[in-house]
Amino acid sequence: MLTYQFDWSIVTSGKYFEWLVSGCKVTLQISIVGIVLAFIVGLLIAVMRMSNFRPARWFALAYLEFFRNTPLLVQIFFWYFGSYKILPAAVNDWLNSTNFEFAAAVIALTIYTSAFIAEDIRSGVLSIPKEQMEAARSAGFSFLRSMQYIILPQAVRITVPPLVNQFLNLAKNSSLAMTIGVMELTYQARQVESYTFKGFEAFTAATVVYLALSSIITALVHLYDKRVLNPNRAV
Amino acid sequence: MKKLITVAISLALAGLLGKAALAAPPADTLAAIKKKGVLVAGVKDSLPPFGYIDEKSRTIVGYDIDFINAIAKKLGVRVELKPVTSASRMPQLQEGNIDIIAATMTKNPERAKQVDFSHTYFFTGQKFITKKGTVRSLKDLAGKKIGTAKGSTSEQNVKKSIPTATVLSFDDYPQAFLALEQGKVAAVTTDEAILAGILAKAPNKAQFEIPNLQISDEPYGLGMRKGDKHFVDFVNKTLLQMERSGEAKKIFERWFGPKTPFHLQRNFKITANK
Amino acid sequence: MGELFNFNVITDNFTYFMIGRFPNGPLGGLGLTIYLAVVSCILSFFCGLVLGLLSLVRNPFISYPVNLFINIVRGLPLLMVIFWMYFLLPALMGRTVPESQTVIMGLTLFTSAYMSQIVRAGIVGIPKGQTEAAISTGLKHWQVMLYIVLPQGLRNMIPSFVNQFVSLIKDTSLAFIVGVSELTQVATQVNNRTMAYPTEIFIFIAILYFFLCYAFTSLSRWLERRLAWRKAI
Repeated sequence: MLTYQFDWSIVTSGKYFEWLVSGCKVTLQISIVGIVLAFIVGLLIAVMRMSNFRPARWFALAYLEFFRNTPLLVQIFFWYFGSYKILPAAVNDWLNSTNFEFAAAVIALTIYTSAFIAEDIRSGVLSIPKEQMEAARSAGFSFLRSMQYIILPQAVRITVPPLVNQFLNLAKNSSLAMTIGVMELTYQARQVESYTFKGFEAFTAATVVYLALSSIITALVHLYDKRVLNPNRAV
Repeated sequence: MKKLITVAISLALAGLLGKAALAAPPADTLAAIKKKGVLVAGVKDSLPPFGYIDEKSRTIVGYDIDFINAIAKKLGVRVELKPVTSASRMPQLQEGNIDIIAATMTKNPERAKQVDFSHTYFFTGQKFITKKGTVRSLKDLAGKKIGTAKGSTSEQNVKKSIPTATVLSFDDYPQAFLALEQGKVAAVTTDEAILAGILAKAPNKAQFEIPNLQISDEPYGLGMRKGDKHFVDFVNKTLLQMERSGEAKKIFERWFGPKTPFHLQRNFKITANK
Repeated sequence: MGELFNFNVITDNFTYFMIGRFPNGPLGGLGLTIYLAVVSCILSFFCGLVLGLLSLVRNPFISYPVNLFINIVRGLPLLMVIFWMYFLLPALMGRTVPESQTVIMGLTLFTSAYMSQIVRAGIVGIPKGQTEAAISTGLKHWQVMLYIVLPQGLRNMIPSFVNQFVSLIKDTSLAFIVGVSELTQVATQVNNRTMAYPTEIFIFIAILYFFLCYAFTSLSRWLERRLAWRKAI
């Protein structure tokens, strides 16, 4: 008869604890780099999507539709295994000499998430009355300058809640990087499981970390929302 | 506060369900198998010649499967094969989803704490597969990336023998080999018999080789639930009989002998002392 | 490398990509992907509806645990939820659970947390005046919810539900990790067997997923416009 012995010490100290900690670090690294890049790329795509220049608009539309409607996992596999044939040999050699697993995961997460971010920013912009753009243009601002100084700052403010959601999604989706051998949190939790057969303990530890991460991101942005964006708001 | 509650809930859940979960598998598997009339075995399904899907019959065949068939025949029951990976085989056994593991599992003390192993039914050693001429000694792999599969002993061994290398673990060995082909890793490491199987199937096998660098002995055992004495004894008895009758040797020749692409020598015998 | 791409690997395995080993074996490939998405969608619709309604109940002993549960699930990666199911389901059911069912349960649990938010938003979006008017005609609180608020709310939620279905289609790809032979798993199998055409294979399945998802995304947009128009009358 089997009896399962709980052994929480393996996830709170020693070698396996260190594995989990290093996994947390990698998850944080991917998430932070990914969030920054995804925001920048997303902003860029949103501006292209709304510009008057037709090719830019079409490119942005194709980008949005394609990357939002394919699974992230397939995109990760594509960037890691599938990009090999498309890229020149020299580029491949260089990529392989770097930490390409990490890079492929970040590229996939950035592109996937930026497509969602771009749409969120666009809806934010569309909610700004059209007259503001017209007023800005008639005051002599160019399209890009009116975007930069008048429309986008307001839009970003409106877009904060959906953006937070996308950042959270990115952090959670970074778990898929384990499929190409990036040693992030879920990967390490699974490693601990297969080395020690203490799956409950390992996955509980990872679960707690993910929940903490989600809570922290949410809390930080709420703080930002209250203090920076709306310092005078009554609530 | 929220976090604390979550922790508490997880602990409580794990505590409650942990017990329930592990009450499920039968205490005497041998009796249970006879009663239900089927032996459920966890096997590999993409690892020729141990266990893989035969394209014509579209069933799982291989060295491991022949041993399972022999045991089931002795028991007079049907066989049900369930594909497992290196990472999933132990949990599957402990949760009672399978009765026995026949999935290229190396016997080691850490695992022996969790499962009971049969006598060694296959013996091999861990080696590397590399691009031709790139690796002559273990030093050539220092600081390089080496691919293998998640949850395998190969992963642990290579970390010990080449501490400076980065070990990348994939879901299965063919994926690790694809990474080697694309230059993402400098070598793929696992047991020689498995490497030989991958190399035999590779599209451009002339570019690769298996240098003569062995970093560990790998005795394979069939895995059964801890303390399941009747079943373990029965399996061991069957294995010894198969060795005496020459059936074990015949199975080896069928999958690894001169008529196969592997040409391995049988440098072991199934005995009771291992 | 002679030719750049070789799409023969797609045509040779086309049936396998579509239906796996069916009809001689279990359904796989794109067929299984759709099956997993549809079943999980139906289940998570009902679970999400119940969770969404419970999260709005005034009794804090009901709404607080429900909200906590929803927030926990929404704070976790889907992959974690699937791994948990892998552990917990055999314990809860007292028997072994096939991987495809594990995945369906994982997807359902995960998606119903998000569905509940849609339901919540839909209900909160119905003007308060309607509830008050209905209550003043003598209807009970639950009757108002069932006959007045929910039917209108649900209609407004339809586009969001369709979007959620698109997410589900994409999420089924994670079944790959526990070895369910849906489209992504089948693709990696073929990739592992042939070892030479990862680009072709992954582009092909990306396009398959794209067409499937894009069709439903377009449906959702069309519904949104149509429902907005009807509301205006």
